[in-house]
Amino acid sequence: MTAMEIDTEKNIQRKHSTYQSLDKTFDIKNEIYRGQQYSQIYFARLHTMRTLLYSLVTHWKPHVPVCTILGLEEGKECIIVGTLYKHMQLKPCVLDEYSKERSAVPPVKPQNFMHPDDHLVLEDESGRVKLGGTVLSPSTYVTGGVVALHGKETTAGDFLVLDVFEAGLAPQIVPQLKSSEDKYVVFISGVSVGSSTSNPLQFQLLVDHITGHLGDEQEQGIAAEIVHVVFAGNSVESPLGLLNGQNLASKDQSRVSEAVQVLDILLSQIAAGVSVDIMPGSNDPANFALPQQPLNRCLFPGSRTFNTFNSCTNPHCFELDGVRFLGTSGQNIDDLKKYSEARDELEFMERTLKWRHLAPTAPNTLGCYPFTDRDPFLIESCPHVYFVGNQDKYGTRILEGSEGQMVRLISIPKFCNTGLAVVLNLRNLECHTLSFGAQPSTLKTFNDA
Amino acid sequence: MATTPSNMKGFYRLKKNKSGITKPTSSKKSSLHLVPSLGSDITQLTALISHGSPDLKDYHDNHEELMRQFDMNMAYGPCLGMYRLARWERAQRLGLNPPIGFEGLLKAEKVRSECWWDGRI
Repeated sequence: MTAMEIDTEKNIQRKHSTYQSLDKTFDIKNEIYRGQQYSQIYFARLHTMRTLLYSLVTHWKPHVPVCTILGLEEGKECIIVGTLYKHMQLKPCVLDEYSKERSAVPPVKPQNFMHPDDHLVLEDESGRVKLGGTVLSPSTYVTGGVVALHGKETTAGDFLVLDVFEAGLAPQIVPQLKSSEDKYVVFISGVSVGSSTSNPLQFQLLVDHITGHLGDEQEQGIAAEIVHVVFAGNSVESPLGLLNGQNLASKDQSRVSEAVQVLDILLSQIAAGVSVDIMPGSNDPANFALPQQPLNRCLFPGSRTFNTFNSCTNPHCFELDGVRFLGTSGQNIDDLKKYSEARDELEFMERTLKWRHLAPTAPNTLGCYPFTDRDPFLIESCPHVYFVGNQDKYGTRILEGSEGQMVRLISIPKFCNTGLAVVLNLRNLECHTLSFGAQPSTLKTFNDA
Repeated sequence: MATTPSNMKGFYRLKKNKSGITKPTSSKKSSLHLVPSLGSDITQLTALISHGSPDLKDYHDNHEELMRQFDMNMAYGPCLGMYRLARWERAQRLGLNPPIGFEGLLKAEKVRSECWWDGRI
């Protein structure tokens, strides 16, 4: 047996990248609620998208006239632009309990409210028209998207759709500096510290790997190439039974905050070495309506002392070395799953990018702040990386646009269920997963090779 | 405003008595306490009476009339729940070219800052 070599002191430097947060549009600090209704945000959305679509349809079908819905003439082919509304009979309606007709309604699956009889309606300020024909499939679309339709009005008063035009991917800014070295960004979501399904050892392993406390020099070298960490929602789960609106007993108060305290300890371990973003999710102690505001810094007394710690909004947009990231904690895609269908989460994500809107179902079925002057969920510049957290499984693909845009779509699985974190290479936008498990392994004897 | 006729009968539409069973009618007609008469201000819409006196000043102000047209114009979007200046700025930003003079009026506070329906709905 050879003598053990004493390792020489060697400092491995972590790589660095420039970070810029672009969350200003999701901030509601300066918004004042004056009793406005959601018609304002719908107007801002329709007008912005319509101006854009009017300029694009001239290239799509130059010889077909454009008109408003009220200006439709029977039999005349034209293009109309408006907001889609999907009439769904299974969609839960608050007025159902007051309905006098108590017909036997079959028990609704809470997962998805689709029905074969759903139909689409197009609406603008002048009026609305029911959409017919087979080109537009109601199962693909949801209320709130803005599209241009080519077709004609029928004798029945419906609009027979001949062709659909979506805005497509937004223009993308080419990143200025193409780095030649590998730099990695780690995405985790659904850590759910404090829940019964989360394994604290798994999370500790992840933290140790990122901070370089795990493994030999080679593995530490790999960890040193991690330049940024993003927690995409649902980092904490407080015992819900306690939060029922009643005053908390003093012994319960500590239980509620336990989970956040543990999260803070682990986050401060990460923040000590690498910049970390934490986004709120549906279970986190943040507001309900989108855009969710950053988790209060008072929750993280340990982590907030580090300037590498950023508490961010949901949705979150930032730039790292010129590469643009945009992502949410999953509420937008989860809502799309309830009201439409697609092959997988990546297809829903692709649709939101093509409709240029992060959350088209907001405010219809997804809680949203009633903005008056703008719709902050409109995607003006196409990101290079688009991520969604708290999904059931991992998925990734490159989406190409008609003007050479390239987007890496990432569906981040829940860490508490899968033990998977996603790692993205900034140099070539390739993705792989990091898997953490804590299973007992069989003992090996020294004689094994 | 309708002219008040001297003949009260002409004001209300008269109904024919139903043939057959007639109920005994009281000598007094069931009274409508808002009885219009010459010179009374009851014919004014109650909405225009605010702070105890008829809101005549706003109604006849030309600038306020222009702003009311701005509020009602559908092209600039819904008006309820927004300050007029915020709505004007939104219209400007979306490229709708709202009349430039309105910005001056609103900033000089010559007209109400809230829309016509504010507080009335």
